[in-house]
Amino acid sequence: MTVSFRSFVRVLVTLIVVAGAVVAGVELWRHYMDDPWTRDAKVRADVVGVAPDVSGFVSEVLVKDNQTVKAGDILFRIDNARYKIALEQAEATVDQKLATHEQAVRDRDRYDKLTNVVSQQQAEQARATEATAAAAYREAVASRDLAKLNLERTEIKAPVNGVVTNLNLQPGDYIAQGSAKVALVDTDSLRIEGYFEETKLSRINVGDPVRIRLMGQSHDLKGRVVSIAAGIVDRERSDEAGLLANVTPTFSWVRLAQRVPVRIVLDEVPADVKLVAGLTATVQVMNSDGSDKGVRSFLSWR
Amino acid sequence: MTAEIDIYGVYVPTLLALMVLALPLSVVVRRLLAWCGVYSFVWHRGLFDVALYVILLGVLSSTSHWWLP
Repeated sequence: MTVSFRSFVRVLVTLIVVAGAVVAGVELWRHYMDDPWTRDAKVRADVVGVAPDVSGFVSEVLVKDNQTVKAGDILFRIDNARYKIALEQAEATVDQKLATHEQAVRDRDRYDKLTNVVSQQQAEQARATEATAAAAYREAVASRDLAKLNLERTEIKAPVNGVVTNLNLQPGDYIAQGSAKVALVDTDSLRIEGYFEETKLSRINVGDPVRIRLMGQSHDLKGRVVSIAAGIVDRERSDEAGLLANVTPTFSWVRLAQRVPVRIVLDEVPADVKLVAGLTATVQVMNSDGSDKGVRSFLSWR
Repeated sequence: MTAEIDIYGVYVPTLLALMVLALPLSVVVRRLLAWCGVYSFVWHRGLFDVALYVILLGVLSSTSHWWLP
């Protein structure tokens, strides 16, 4: 009797501990597998490749590497001698066309008064000449405006607020129209992109608060989910073979959850936190009341 | 917050560090239980030890936000 009671107690104690372990194991699994958090998040920003609208030698670089600039600040100037000359030329053409037009107007007036002397054909000719001269004058004015615009565009301005980075531009460099030479990190667009496993997406809602921890930082930043990407590339398929679908015929036994970018905006950035595009972060999405998303069905330790 | 633990520039997931930490802890607890004579009330010692380790890991993980920075 005592022996069987003793072995009953022994089995009971062991089973209780095992049951406790199952509960703890399930909780651990839920936290690490289901909670919407990821260590795979990055600080990102839009980078504007500032390119000149006109070609030429760089005459002056007005910014230093890693300098903060505001939208509209001049970044660098292109040698404008050629464009000044072009403007001068265009203005001369305007004057010339204006003189021609005025003469045509006077001629037409004269022919209009001499209605009984000149033939109708000559009067029409005078009117046509005047109209042609007027059109030529307008064309010349447009050319002058274009030359003026080109001259203005020799000053390259910052299109957004940001920080010039990796600047590698010296006076004397020749740059062609449209070739990006200055990288400007748009500081207004700084954000966090969390690459969440697709399995966790159903538990992330737009507007949820997010806790962000930058790698190596000791305190959390606060943010919000603003949007979730609408699509990622289908890696099993390429549609290049004669417009038909080309689906990979292998399908792996072990599969990895794909990552979907979730865009998170920072609510507040403390002054001592330096946000650099490309930094690694750990993010955890919370419930809208700020509590953890974890499923705490039968245990609530936190 | 569930973050990573920095070991001289190598960032390891907290769970890994906790798993390593739970191992010596479970040895200590096992010694303690053996000293108290609890094992005479245990039916299957190996099973009991594994369960003990998982429970310790769960406790460490669920309390980590208090003692980890």
